[in-house]
Amino acid sequence: MPVSPFRAGAREGFFAFLPLSVGLIPWAMVTGMAMISTGLTPTQAMGMNLIVFAGTAQLGTLPLIGAGAPLWLIVVTALALNLRFIIFSAAIAQGFRGVGTPLRWYCGHLLTDGVFACCLEKLLKVDDRRWRLGYYLAPSIWSWALWQVFALIGVFAAGSIPKHWSLEFMASIALLVLLVPLAKQRPMLVAALTSGATAVLLRGVPLRLGLIVAIVVGIMAGFAAEHWSKRGETA
Amino acid sequence: MSAEAALWLTFILIGLATTLPRASFIVLGGRVRLPSVVQRALRYAPAAALAAIVAPDVLVVGGDFMPLNPKLAGVVAAVAAALLWRNPWLPFIAGMAVLLGLRALLGG
Repeated sequence: MPVSPFRAGAREGFFAFLPLSVGLIPWAMVTGMAMISTGLTPTQAMGMNLIVFAGTAQLGTLPLIGAGAPLWLIVVTALALNLRFIIFSAAIAQGFRGVGTPLRWYCGHLLTDGVFACCLEKLLKVDDRRWRLGYYLAPSIWSWALWQVFALIGVFAAGSIPKHWSLEFMASIALLVLLVPLAKQRPMLVAALTSGATAVLLRGVPLRLGLIVAIVVGIMAGFAAEHWSKRGETA
Repeated sequence: MSAEAALWLTFILIGLATTLPRASFIVLGGRVRLPSVVQRALRYAPAAALAAIVAPDVLVVGGDFMPLNPKLAGVVAAVAAALLWRNPWLPFIAGMAVLLGLRALLGG
Protein backbone atom coordinates (compact mmCIF):
# COMPACT_ATOMS: atom_id res chain seq x y z
CA MET A 1 0.00 0.00 0.00
CA PRO A 2 1.46 3.40 -0.93
CA VAL A 3 2.05 5.83 1.93
CA SER A 4 -0.28 8.85 1.87
CA PRO A 5 1.42 12.16 1.05
CA PHE A 6 0.40 13.55 4.44
CA ARG A 7 2.09 10.69 6.29
CA ALA A 8 5.18 10.84 4.09
CA GLY A 9 5.47 14.58 4.77
CA ALA A 10 4.82 14.08 8.48
CA ARG A 11 7.55 11.47 8.75
CA GLU A 12 10.10 13.62 6.94
CA GLY A 13 9.23 16.75 8.95
CA PHE A 14 9.34 14.89 12.24
CA PHE A 15 12.77 13.39 11.65
CA ALA A 16 14.20 16.65 10.29
CA PHE A 17 13.14 18.43 13.47
CA LEU A 18 13.76 15.68 16.04
CA PRO A 19 17.41 16.53 16.87
CA LEU A 20 16.60 20.25 17.19
CA SER A 21 13.65 19.56 19.44
CA VAL A 22 15.95 18.44 22.29
CA GLY A 23 16.71 22.13 22.80
CA LEU A 24 13.09 22.72 23.82
CA ILE A 25 13.41 20.56 26.93
CA PRO A 26 15.42 22.92 29.17
CA TRP A 27 13.27 25.85 27.99
CA ALA A 28 10.07 24.14 28.89
CA MET A 29 11.39 23.06 32.28
CA VAL A 30 12.77 26.50 33.08
CA THR A 31 9.50 28.11 32.02
CA GLY A 32 7.59 25.70 34.26
CA MET A 33 9.87 26.53 37.20
CA ALA A 34 9.73 30.28 36.50
CA MET A 35 5.94 30.27 36.53
CA ILE A 36 5.94 28.66 39.98
CA SER A 37 8.65 30.93 41.39
CA THR A 38 6.57 33.93 40.17
CA GLY A 39 3.83 32.71 42.49
CA LEU A 40 1.43 30.90 40.13
CA THR A 41 -0.27 27.74 41.34
CA PRO A 42 0.39 24.59 39.27
CA THR A 43 -3.09 24.93 37.69
CA GLN A 44 -2.52 28.57 36.77
CA ALA A 45 0.94 27.73 35.45
CA MET A 46 -0.30 24.97 33.18
CA GLY A 47 -3.25 27.14 32.15
CA MET A 48 -0.83 29.82 31.04
CA ASN A 49 1.30 27.21 29.30
CA LEU A 50 -1.67 25.85 27.33
CA ILE A 51 -3.15 29.24 26.46
CA VAL A 52 0.06 31.06 25.54
CA PHE A 53 2.41 28.30 24.24
CA ALA A 54 5.37 30.68 23.78
CA GLY A 55 8.47 30.50 25.97
CA THR A 56 9.73 33.99 25.24
CA ALA A 57 6.38 35.67 25.84
CA GLN A 58 5.81 33.62 29.01
CA LEU A 59 9.28 34.21 30.46
CA GLY A 60 9.22 37.87 29.42
CA THR A 61 5.86 38.70 30.96
CA LEU A 62 6.31 36.73 34.20
CA PRO A 63 8.43 39.43 35.92
CA LEU A 64 5.73 41.97 35.00
CA ILE A 65 2.93 39.73 36.27
CA GLY A 66 4.91 39.15 39.47
CA ALA A 67 5.45 42.89 39.96
CA GLY A 68 1.75 43.64 39.45
CA ALA A 69 2.32 45.72 36.31
CA PRO A 70 -0.80 47.06 34.55
CA LEU A 71 -2.46 44.69 32.10
CA TRP A 72 -1.93 46.82 29.01
CA LEU A 73 1.80 47.00 29.68
CA ILE A 74 1.99 43.21 29.99
CA VAL A 75 0.13 42.80 26.69
CA VAL A 76 2.25 45.39 24.86
CA THR A 77 5.41 43.67 26.12
CA ALA A 78 4.12 40.29 24.92
CA LEU A 79 3.36 41.84 21.54
CA ALA A 80 6.86 43.31 21.30
CA LEU A 81 8.36 39.91 22.08
CA ASN A 82 6.13 38.29 19.44
CA LEU A 83 6.52 40.81 16.63
CA ARG A 84 9.09 38.56 15.00
CA PHE A 85 6.30 36.08 14.32
CA ILE A 86 4.62 38.56 11.94
CA ILE A 87 7.75 38.35 9.81
CA PHE A 88 7.95 34.55 10.13
CA SER A 89 4.26 34.30 9.31
CA ALA A 90 4.69 36.45 6.20
CA ALA A 91 7.68 34.38 5.10
CA ILE A 92 6.04 30.98 5.59
CA ALA A 93 2.51 31.91 4.39
CA GLN A 94 3.06 30.49 0.89
CA GLY A 95 3.69 27.08 2.47
CA PHE A 96 -0.01 26.91 3.34
CA ARG A 97 -1.39 27.53 -0.15
CA GLY A 98 -4.45 25.38 -0.72
CA VAL A 99 -5.05 24.89 3.03
CA GLY A 100 -8.44 25.93 4.51
CA THR A 101 -8.83 28.87 6.90
CA PRO A 102 -9.60 26.98 10.17
CA LEU A 103 -6.54 24.79 9.66
CA ARG A 104 -4.47 27.91 8.91
CA TRP A 105 -5.45 29.35 12.30
CA TYR A 106 -4.36 26.14 13.98
CA CYS A 107 -1.08 26.07 12.06
CA GLY A 108 -0.54 29.74 12.96
CA HIS A 109 -1.13 29.05 16.65
CA LEU A 110 1.54 26.32 16.52
CA LEU A 111 4.20 28.42 14.73
CA THR A 112 7.49 28.39 16.66
CA ASP A 113 10.99 29.66 15.92
CA GLY A 114 12.40 26.13 15.68
CA VAL A 115 9.85 24.69 13.25
CA PHE A 116 9.96 27.87 11.17
CA ALA A 117 13.73 27.68 10.79
CA CYS A 118 13.71 23.95 10.14
CA CYS A 119 10.79 23.62 7.72
CA LEU A 120 10.58 26.88 5.78
CA GLU A 121 12.63 25.86 2.76
CA LYS A 122 10.78 22.65 1.86
CA LEU A 123 7.37 24.12 2.67
CA LEU A 124 7.87 26.74 0.00
CA LYS A 125 9.26 24.27 -2.57
CA VAL A 126 7.01 21.22 -2.43
CA ASP A 127 3.81 21.26 -4.49
CA ASP A 128 1.62 18.66 -2.78
CA ARG A 129 -0.60 20.44 -0.24
CA ARG A 130 -1.10 17.32 1.89
CA TRP A 131 2.63 16.59 2.04
CA ARG A 132 3.34 20.18 3.17
CA LEU A 133 0.65 20.01 5.84
CA GLY A 134 2.10 16.80 7.27
CA TYR A 135 5.62 18.18 7.05
CA TYR A 136 4.58 21.24 9.10
CA LEU A 137 2.14 19.67 11.54
CA ALA A 138 4.20 16.67 12.70
CA PRO A 139 7.15 18.68 14.09
CA SER A 140 4.78 21.42 15.33
CA ILE A 141 2.57 19.06 17.31
CA TRP A 142 5.68 17.28 18.60
CA SER A 143 7.03 20.66 19.82
CA TRP A 144 3.71 21.40 21.47
CA ALA A 145 3.63 18.04 23.27
CA LEU A 146 7.26 18.34 24.44
CA TRP A 147 6.57 21.86 25.64
CA GLN A 148 3.56 20.87 27.72
CA VAL A 149 5.12 17.73 29.21
CA PHE A 150 8.42 19.30 30.22
CA ALA A 151 6.79 22.48 31.51
CA LEU A 152 4.67 20.25 33.73
CA ILE A 153 7.82 18.49 34.97
CA GLY A 154 9.33 21.94 35.68
CA VAL A 155 6.18 22.98 37.56
CA PHE A 156 6.42 20.00 39.88
CA ALA A 157 10.21 20.15 40.19
CA ALA A 158 10.03 23.81 41.27
CA GLY A 159 7.82 22.95 44.24
CA SER A 160 10.48 20.68 45.74
CA ILE A 161 13.36 23.16 45.35
CA PRO A 162 14.15 25.53 48.27
CA LYS A 163 13.33 29.24 47.77
CA HIS A 164 16.87 30.50 48.47
CA TRP A 165 18.09 28.75 45.31
CA SER A 166 16.73 31.78 43.40
CA LEU A 167 15.18 29.75 40.60
CA GLU A 168 13.70 32.93 39.14
CA PHE A 169 17.23 33.70 37.97
CA MET A 170 16.80 30.83 35.50
CA ALA A 171 14.25 33.00 33.69
CA SER A 172 16.81 35.82 33.32
CA ILE A 173 19.34 33.32 31.97
CA ALA A 174 16.74 31.93 29.56
CA LEU A 175 15.97 35.40 28.16
CA LEU A 176 19.69 36.10 27.73
CA VAL A 177 20.32 32.81 25.99
CA LEU A 178 17.60 33.77 23.51
CA LEU A 179 19.31 37.12 23.06
CA VAL A 180 22.82 35.73 22.41
CA PRO A 181 22.29 34.38 18.85
CA LEU A 182 20.35 37.53 17.88
CA ALA A 183 23.06 39.83 19.18
CA LYS A 184 25.70 38.26 16.94
CA GLN A 185 24.56 40.72 14.27
CA ARG A 186 25.97 44.18 14.96
CA PRO A 187 22.77 46.27 14.58
CA MET A 188 20.90 43.76 16.74
CA LEU A 189 23.57 44.16 19.44
CA VAL A 190 23.20 47.94 19.22
CA ALA A 191 19.42 47.59 19.62
CA ALA A 192 19.85 45.34 22.68
CA LEU A 193 22.51 47.48 24.39
CA THR A 194 20.60 50.73 23.81
CA SER A 195 17.36 49.23 24.98
CA GLY A 196 18.95 47.63 28.07
CA ALA A 197 20.71 50.87 29.06
CA THR A 198 17.52 52.88 28.55
CA ALA A 199 15.53 50.44 30.69
CA VAL A 200 18.09 50.77 33.51
CA LEU A 201 18.11 54.58 33.26
CA LEU A 202 14.30 54.80 33.26
CA ARG A 203 13.76 52.18 35.98
CA GLY A 204 12.19 54.79 38.30
CA VAL A 205 9.45 55.73 35.83
CA PRO A 206 6.04 54.66 37.18
CA LEU A 207 4.06 51.70 35.74
CA ARG A 208 7.30 50.38 34.24
CA LEU A 209 6.65 52.70 31.31
CA GLY A 210 10.43 52.88 30.92
CA LEU A 211 10.23 49.37 29.47
CA ILE A 212 8.12 50.47 26.50
CA VAL A 213 10.29 53.55 25.90
CA ALA A 214 13.38 51.32 26.08
CA ILE A 215 11.98 48.90 23.48
CA VAL A 216 11.08 51.72 21.09
CA VAL A 217 14.48 53.42 21.54
CA GLY A 218 16.19 50.05 21.03
CA ILE A 219 14.32 49.39 17.76
CA MET A 220 15.25 52.87 16.48
CA ALA A 221 18.89 52.40 17.48
CA GLY A 222 19.09 49.03 15.71
CA PHE A 223 17.47 50.45 12.62
CA ALA A 224 19.83 53.43 12.62
CA ALA A 225 22.86 51.17 13.11
CA GLU A 226 21.78 49.03 10.14
CA HIS A 227 21.34 52.14 8.02
CA TRP A 228 24.78 53.54 8.91
CA SER A 229 26.59 50.24 8.43
CA LYS A 230 25.03 49.94 4.96
CA ARG A 231 26.08 53.49 4.08
CA GLY A 232 29.58 52.61 5.26
CA GLU A 233 29.67 49.66 2.86
CA THR A 234 28.62 51.66 -0.20
CA ALA A 235 30.87 54.67 0.57
CA MET B 1 -12.90 41.32 39.11
CA SER B 2 -11.11 38.90 41.44
CA ALA B 3 -7.35 38.54 41.29
CA GLU B 4 -7.81 35.01 39.95
CA ALA B 5 -10.07 36.17 37.09
CA ALA B 6 -7.69 39.03 36.30
CA LEU B 7 -4.82 36.55 36.04
CA TRP B 8 -6.70 34.31 33.59
CA LEU B 9 -7.69 37.36 31.55
CA THR B 10 -3.99 38.26 31.45
CA PHE B 11 -3.13 34.78 30.13
CA ILE B 12 -5.82 34.99 27.44
CA LEU B 13 -4.61 38.41 26.29
CA ILE B 14 -0.96 37.28 26.22
CA GLY B 15 -2.20 34.25 24.24
CA LEU B 16 -3.91 36.54 21.74
CA ALA B 17 -0.79 38.71 21.56
CA THR B 18 1.03 35.52 20.56
CA THR B 19 -1.39 33.70 18.26
CA LEU B 20 -2.44 36.79 16.27
CA PRO B 21 1.11 37.68 15.13
CA ARG B 22 1.84 34.01 14.44
CA ALA B 23 -1.32 33.39 12.44
CA SER B 24 -1.42 36.83 10.78
CA PHE B 25 -0.01 36.19 7.34
CA ILE B 26 -0.58 32.44 7.41
CA VAL B 27 -4.33 33.18 7.60
CA LEU B 28 -4.27 36.22 5.30
CA GLY B 29 -2.28 34.31 2.69
CA GLY B 30 -0.86 36.27 -0.19
CA ARG B 31 -3.53 38.99 -0.01
CA VAL B 32 -1.57 41.47 2.12
CA ARG B 33 2.10 42.39 2.15
CA LEU B 34 4.09 44.18 4.83
CA PRO B 35 6.16 47.23 3.75
CA SER B 36 9.84 46.27 3.81
CA VAL B 37 10.77 49.20 6.10
CA VAL B 38 8.30 47.91 8.69
CA GLN B 39 9.63 44.36 8.32
CA ARG B 40 13.18 45.54 8.87
CA ALA B 41 12.27 47.63 11.92
CA LEU B 42 10.25 44.80 13.46
CA ARG B 43 13.29 42.52 13.39
CA TYR B 44 14.79 44.55 16.24
CA ALA B 45 11.77 44.32 18.53
CA PRO B 46 12.58 40.96 20.16
CA ALA B 47 16.22 41.81 20.93
CA ALA B 48 15.19 45.22 22.30
CA ALA B 49 12.40 43.74 24.43
CA LEU B 50 14.58 40.93 25.82
CA ALA B 51 17.35 43.36 26.80
CA ALA B 52 14.90 45.84 28.32
CA ILE B 53 13.45 43.11 30.55
CA VAL B 54 16.75 41.51 31.61
CA ALA B 55 19.02 44.55 32.09
CA PRO B 56 17.25 46.08 35.13
CA ASP B 57 16.87 42.61 36.70
CA VAL B 58 20.60 42.05 36.54
CA LEU B 59 22.12 45.52 36.98
CA VAL B 60 19.80 47.09 39.56
CA VAL B 61 19.89 46.00 43.20
CA GLY B 62 17.24 47.48 45.49
CA GLY B 63 16.61 50.41 43.12
CA ASP B 64 20.26 51.38 42.69
CA PHE B 65 22.49 50.82 39.67
CA MET B 66 24.97 48.23 40.97
CA PRO B 67 26.68 46.45 38.11
CA LEU B 68 29.06 44.44 40.32
CA ASN B 69 26.77 41.88 41.88
CA PRO B 70 26.53 38.06 41.88
CA LYS B 71 23.69 38.11 39.32
CA LEU B 72 25.85 39.87 36.75
CA ALA B 73 28.62 37.31 37.31
CA GLY B 74 26.05 34.56 36.80
CA VAL B 75 24.87 36.21 33.60
CA VAL B 76 28.43 36.52 32.27
CA ALA B 77 28.98 32.82 32.94
CA ALA B 78 25.69 31.89 31.25
CA VAL B 79 26.37 34.02 28.17
CA ALA B 80 29.91 32.62 27.89
CA ALA B 81 28.52 29.08 28.07
CA ALA B 82 25.94 29.91 25.40
CA LEU B 83 28.61 31.39 23.13
CA LEU B 84 31.17 28.62 23.57
CA TRP B 85 29.10 25.42 23.65
CA ARG B 86 25.97 24.17 21.97
CA ASN B 87 24.71 22.17 24.96
CA PRO B 88 21.37 23.81 25.83
CA TRP B 89 21.62 22.99 29.55
CA LEU B 90 25.05 24.50 30.13
CA PRO B 91 24.11 28.21 30.37
CA PHE B 92 21.62 27.40 33.14
CA ILE B 93 24.08 25.21 35.04
CA ALA B 94 26.94 27.73 34.70
CA GLY B 95 24.78 30.76 35.57
CA MET B 96 23.13 29.18 38.59
CA ALA B 97 26.42 27.72 39.86
CA VAL B 98 28.16 31.11 39.72
CA LEU B 99 25.23 32.94 41.34
CA LEU B 100 24.78 30.46 44.17
CA GLY B 101 28.54 29.96 44.62
CA LEU B 102 29.21 33.69 44.91
CA ARG B 103 26.31 34.17 47.30
CA ALA B 104 27.60 31.36 49.48
CA LEU B 105 31.11 32.88 49.45
CA LEU B 106 29.89 36.41 50.19
CA GLY B 107 27.45 35.14 52.78
CA GLY B 108 24.56 36.97 51.06
